[in-house]
Amino acid sequence: MATYDGIFNALGLNDWCATENAGGPMTMAELLAQANNGGGDATAEVAAPATPLLETPFPSLDVLHKSCGSVPRTRDMTSAVEEAFLNVKDGMKVVLDPLTQPLSWLLDWSLAGFQATPWFIMIPLLMLLTYYASRSWSVLALVTGSFLFMAFIDHYNYAIQTLSIIFVCTIFCVALGVPIGIAMSKSNTMQRITIPILDMLQTLPTFVYLIPLIFLFSVTESKLYGIAIILYAIVPVIRLTDLGIRLVDKDVIEAADAFGMNSWQKLTGVQIPLALPNIMAGINQTIMMSLAMVVIASLVSAPGLGVLVLRGINNLELGVGLVSGFCIVLLAVLLDRSTKAALGRINTSEK
Amino acid sequence: MKKFLVAATLGLAAPAAAYADCGEVSITEMNWASAAVVTNVSKFLMEQGYGCDVTVVPSSTVPSLASVSETGKPDIVTELWINGAPSYNDLQEAGTIVTLGDVLSDGGVEGWWIPTYLVDAHPELATVEGVLANPELLDSRFHNCPDGWGCKNINAALAEAFDLGGNGFEVFQHGSGETMATSIAAAFENEEPWIGYYWAPTSVLGKYPMTLVDLGPHDPEVHACNADPECETAGKSSYPVGPVKTVVTTTFQDENPDIAALMANVSFTNTQMGEVLAWQEANNASAEEAAVYFLSNNSDVWSDWISEDAKGNLAALIK
Repeated sequence: MATYDGIFNALGLNDWCATENAGGPMTMAELLAQANNGGGDATAEVAAPATPLLETPFPSLDVLHKSCGSVPRTRDMTSAVEEAFLNVKDGMKVVLDPLTQPLSWLLDWSLAGFQATPWFIMIPLLMLLTYYASRSWSVLALVTGSFLFMAFIDHYNYAIQTLSIIFVCTIFCVALGVPIGIAMSKSNTMQRITIPILDMLQTLPTFVYLIPLIFLFSVTESKLYGIAIILYAIVPVIRLTDLGIRLVDKDVIEAADAFGMNSWQKLTGVQIPLALPNIMAGINQTIMMSLAMVVIASLVSAPGLGVLVLRGINNLELGVGLVSGFCIVLLAVLLDRSTKAALGRINTSEK
Repeated sequence: MKKFLVAATLGLAAPAAAYADCGEVSITEMNWASAAVVTNVSKFLMEQGYGCDVTVVPSSTVPSLASVSETGKPDIVTELWINGAPSYNDLQEAGTIVTLGDVLSDGGVEGWWIPTYLVDAHPELATVEGVLANPELLDSRFHNCPDGWGCKNINAALAEAFDLGGNGFEVFQHGSGETMATSIAAAFENEEPWIGYYWAPTSVLGKYPMTLVDLGPHDPEVHACNADPECETAGKSSYPVGPVKTVVTTTFQDENPDIAALMANVSFTNTQMGEVLAWQEANNASAEEAAVYFLSNNSDVWSDWISEDAKGNLAALIK
């Protein structure tokens, strides 16, 4: 009946195959066949013609299963993967849970801290920080205007929650990403291993790893969305740190060698300062990408503007969605401008 | 294999010739298990019985109605939980849509659920009083629906009325239905406590045996107030049985009365649907295979839904 019967016969695997009864649920095609065969049993042979060469199905698990009951179907394979995950999850939990706990604490503390600070302290504080980082009156005006606007339309609290999440996640991204980037720039092997992982992190749909994470940690823990944001946003800072250090002029390194610098002195005194514009560009991109993840993070209960966007989408309250979306854009623009201005200052001081 | 292919093409082509007037039909497939079964069964009956050319539109409650109201498509919206669809009444009054009937004749069961293994160990948890008295048995956490779902307001009001906070519970609001379902699955994997909102028939409740917490009697007025975010006085009322409807656009009903009559008849009891979903879960089957399971085992049920002509077309399957 099935295409690949002959192969299993030829290999003498019939006994092995016969150990398990094939079967499986009836497919729509079989039901249709039954409907058109005048009530005949679909599984009974009605002079099965040989399959034409052009219609030979690919020997996939499901097709092979038809010929040989011992070959697992694709759905057996996926449920085996599920089983395997559930079996190792307890072990993973013991390792990963304490390891990621600081992230939860920091996210919670920072959220509480940001929200406990009254607006009339928070906004001037942000203004001071902006001015200190950028030394630019126009950026300062943009930041002040944006926050006053968001406060005026009652979005200040949500914006501050989002800002707090981005703040913590960026710290983690820089603290983890810069050392990884440096390690990548020092070793070609490390770079070859890391780049595919970075590619994967940028393309893997978030829910693919978030849903298994719920089995490991409680869904109520804030580290869940922290991990989602960090895994996605850490990539640019790693890539650009690696690139920046690799781009440092060979002659400069040679000069440093001539002065008898050891490799730690070279790294901190020459390579990192020269790579700083690139690293800062990476941090800027990391902030932007963590902002992009805010809506997705809200799907795993992250507070902030993303919640409003989700509510707008779910209830078809277009106004809510558009206004909160605009606030996210506003946050993005002001974070981008501030970090760009800070970057500009570093660039000019280098020259 | 080829036999199936030929049969499939014949199956699609032959009745289409006889019923050239049915034409193209679009039907929603909501993103949960029972709706997928309903849609696949309806699709089969329309294609094979009435010769329609059916397009399945993956959707969910609110977007499907928005699409109907703005574009008049899809033609058929099935398994519509009208409690969770605020625009339903407006569209109904405006005459854009016609309600054909209850696709789940027993209605949907909403409420607060607890894993059955917990109730077996602590029978007092089956009522809300027992729940309130024992927060430590339930991890002191109530799982509420995501923002934007109708049940979120109701649960928030009920939490206030029963004073969940004062009894040591923390109300945790999920960000999406996916995390809610996964938190149930994770609790079952570890045999951990869980209490929160869910609804049946769903594949989650088909897979994991859970017990409905007795929230006392249902009071329509109090419940309406609980559902309304503007209404201040939260009261105690259990969930009513949720009507689950099939609706079509008014133009579609005028143009295809046959199909509308069929869709009005398509109706499952909770026992029937629960059995199909349990089989699907046990066999790791797709929604299409679950529909085939229903069609091949319950011809006495669905043969009453279809017209005499369609019965002729499907005579081979009716036992």
